[in-house]
Amino acid sequence: MAVLSTKGLTVTFGGNRAVNALDLKVEPGQLVGLIGPNGAGKTTTIDAITGFVPSQGRIEFKGEEIGSLSSTARARKGVGRTWQSSELFDDLTVLENLQVASESVSVGGFLRDLVRPRNDDIDALISILDSLDLGGTQGQLPTELSHGQRKLVGVARALAAKPAVLCMDEPAAGLDTEESQELGKRIRALVDGGLPTLLIDHDMGLVLTICDYLYVLDFGQLIAEGTPAEIRADEKVITAYLGQSASTEAGA
Amino acid sequence: MPRKIAVLGAALLGIVLLGVILISADQTQAVVLGIGGGALIAAIALSVTLNYQGSGVVNFSAGAMAMYGGYIYYGLRTNGQLFLPPIPNPLSLIEGLAHLFGASGFSLPKIPVFIQLASSSGGHEAYGTIIKGAAMPIWEALIIALAECALMGLLFHLLIFRPLRKAPVLARVVASVGLFIILQAIVVLRYTSSAQAVGPILPQHPVALPRGIRLPSDQILLVGIVIVVTAVLWAVFKYTRFGLATRAASENEKGALVLGYSPDFLAGVNWVASTVLAGLFGILVAPINQSIDPYTITLLIVPALAAALLARFRSFWITMFAGLGLGMMSAWIQLISNKSWFPKAQGSALPGLTDTIPFILIILVLVFRGKSLPTRGAIETIKLPFAPRTKRVLPASLGLAAATFVLLFIVTPGWRLAIVNSLVGAVICLSLVVLTGYVGQISLMQMALAGISGFTLSKIADAYHIPFPIGPLLGACVAVGVGLLAGFPALRVRGVNLAVVTFAAAVTIQDLIFGNPAWSGFKGASVAPPQIFGLNFGPNEPWTKFFSGGQGLLPNPWFGVFCLIVVLLLIWGVVNIRRSRVGRQMLAVRSNERAAAAAGVSVSKTKILAFGVAAFIAGIGGALSGYRFGSVSSQYFGAVPSMLFLAFAYLGGISSVSGAVVGGLIVSGGISSIVLTSWLHVSDQYTLLLAGIGLITMAIFNPQGVAGAFRTAYESFRGNRTESLAHLPLEMSESKS
Repeated sequence: MAVLSTKGLTVTFGGNRAVNALDLKVEPGQLVGLIGPNGAGKTTTIDAITGFVPSQGRIEFKGEEIGSLSSTARARKGVGRTWQSSELFDDLTVLENLQVASESVSVGGFLRDLVRPRNDDIDALISILDSLDLGGTQGQLPTELSHGQRKLVGVARALAAKPAVLCMDEPAAGLDTEESQELGKRIRALVDGGLPTLLIDHDMGLVLTICDYLYVLDFGQLIAEGTPAEIRADEKVITAYLGQSASTEAGA
Repeated sequence: MPRKIAVLGAALLGIVLLGVILISADQTQAVVLGIGGGALIAAIALSVTLNYQGSGVVNFSAGAMAMYGGYIYYGLRTNGQLFLPPIPNPLSLIEGLAHLFGASGFSLPKIPVFIQLASSSGGHEAYGTIIKGAAMPIWEALIIALAECALMGLLFHLLIFRPLRKAPVLARVVASVGLFIILQAIVVLRYTSSAQAVGPILPQHPVALPRGIRLPSDQILLVGIVIVVTAVLWAVFKYTRFGLATRAASENEKGALVLGYSPDFLAGVNWVASTVLAGLFGILVAPINQSIDPYTITLLIVPALAAALLARFRSFWITMFAGLGLGMMSAWIQLISNKSWFPKAQGSALPGLTDTIPFILIILVLVFRGKSLPTRGAIETIKLPFAPRTKRVLPASLGLAAATFVLLFIVTPGWRLAIVNSLVGAVICLSLVVLTGYVGQISLMQMALAGISGFTLSKIADAYHIPFPIGPLLGACVAVGVGLLAGFPALRVRGVNLAVVTFAAAVTIQDLIFGNPAWSGFKGASVAPPQIFGLNFGPNEPWTKFFSGGQGLLPNPWFGVFCLIVVLLLIWGVVNIRRSRVGRQMLAVRSNERAAAAAGVSVSKTKILAFGVAAFIAGIGGALSGYRFGSVSSQYFGAVPSMLFLAFAYLGGISSVSGAVVGGLIVSGGISSIVLTSWLHVSDQYTLLLAGIGLITMAIFNPQGVAGAFRTAYESFRGNRTESLAHLPLEMSESKS
């Protein structure tokens, strides 16, 4: 059974169909790429899956319909996401950013914390930071970090919530080629470590190299799906990218 | 579309209601008489709309500006005097020094309080005394008054709101609140807070309308003028390049640049237009009530905001009609309040219902339209003040507490009272630290919530002999209930709109509950002193000295100790909130609601919790101040005091506990007041003015507040403590490329 799937997912902005009847699936152990030119509806798809834009159609998480739940409830069920521009909590330290995602609150806990606040789980969070080479940054503020590090903290924060599936929105945007490749290896490692992931990125080289399966969107419409090899050969995809794929193929 | 049906239904209901009212002639008469006041509401609302379109500021001081314009004009009309705001005189420092060294009997030139413009027959300028001068002719006075309004609009733009162009909403709300305080404080300084009689400006002869309705001609003229003004604004915004550019700028500042206007220029022109408009109607409408005072017109900002919100800060026509309608509606309520079926409180009609209507309108508009209200495309580059994790709390608070404890017993009664006032003030500031500092929700109703608790303590706890620790806790819980009710709109409403909701709520609570004679009477409601195990520690309980200080000199220092303990407990709690998971979630919500939701944080629960906690703390503050005065009165709680407390908390540093302590020091009647009056010999009247100026200065130059400034200074003194990043070698994971 797919961890995450959509059936007929449609998002309308004022009569304009940003995403039209999209069916996609993320199977356990898979790294699924969602690609397409600018304005194709990739980020809108992730926003719809995670509950940040209203949508029609079915969204299923482990076979359960989640389309009517709030974004918070979906996150708590295990649908994690990262943001294109990191969207870190700038007033909190790196460690606190992770704590927000990992902790749950209760009334009793709140009252206890009023008298004596406790911190648990810090070791697990530190090890997430270490695994992303962010060791030693836990006491720093996001604004003190480099762009690449901020993106990684975004990923670490999503991981801290222990998601069952992760949606990543352009994690490599703004990174140079070397950083981007490094990030690709990390994402692949996460998936191989048991976290199925839906990945959006502009970097075709990156996506074609690391993904198991790809969906290609253009103007909200699914124009192709298949393994990276199949997508490379697809005429419609090449047209949609106007030769862009040829150059990335050369690079890859 | 269910929303469209709802809107249509509401409109239909309104028309039917209007029809019912208009069937009876005396009702029509009463409703029509409200149209003059409606014109002023409409004009203030138009002024607010212009400000918003031009610079994205929701100007809480538009009503105050109308009031100020009225005072300029009537000063000139009464005796040809143009009053000036207080200007600091550097010469008085030299004088003070000279007096200190024993020189007396000489005085250096003073900066005048008034300028005598019309020739005064035999009179002369004299410091501080209003001398009889000749009245200035209407046109001259009008032109001079409007010119001063225009100049003020320009100064507001250049000195206050241009520097805040990229500041967060909170800073701009705070600045306009500061302006509100300043304008009101200046008028009170010059003309006292009592009403001044004003003569007519427009002809006031009765005009017979169809169906036997009579209306003074000035009201008809006022409506005509406000319609003309609306038409002009509509035409300018629709057909001129300037108007188009302003509309473009209100959506996206780049839009104005494309049309060849700088957003800065547009903002400035709109500021001038809006202050002149507000001033003009302040002048024209004041004669309807034959008098002008610093409060009535100022608070018309609430219905005006309701009208502007209904029109989404966009349509001038809707704004105007809503303003006129609200004016007429309140006149109608005044009429029906004489009927036998109208809700009564102690025999007389329940007051405050007039103010409830704009409040309900605001809530409906915001809750049903919440998310679709306009937001500007300007980029906020300045962030909300940083909310640091508080370090070294225990030694600092124990040290301060010990010092306060000792001081309470050795200082003179005046200082002791100031310490108590500062402690009570710090409690209210703490409530704002949680709500505004941690969660970023602006509240202009904290003192009203405090008042709810105070009145509950007086009316329920005392009446039913509920013993001490339970009484104030009960009061605080009632405050929590009201705070949560008012907090629900916050789930759909953000930023400045929330400030509008909470301000309207404060005005409504003030008029409907505190103004209700059954609750407060005219002298306020009495509060019995706190006592436990028969031990009375009320402020007025005689006490026995044991090391210094005089027997029987009140207030009782043990009451101060009680306040101190309460403050310490609350500080402990608020510091722990910042250190706990809830505090992290609060800051996450403040920083980025979408990302917080994606991290599994329930944004709505976090906000509601913050409203509840803040209302509880404010409620405790209200109970303390009830004990401190031995009574609760409507003057101390309500809309304007709520504004002032946001000001004090912001000045002190809204996002940290230490800021709340500093905020407590600067509340009126607190330590800073007594330092100003008894050491620097500054009159107590200037406290509000200084608070307003301090507030704006702080919003522009140092949003971190006084406490934040000290923290920054301390940290740069300690040296930059951030360690360099330890860049570990990349550890490659096995990849499957």
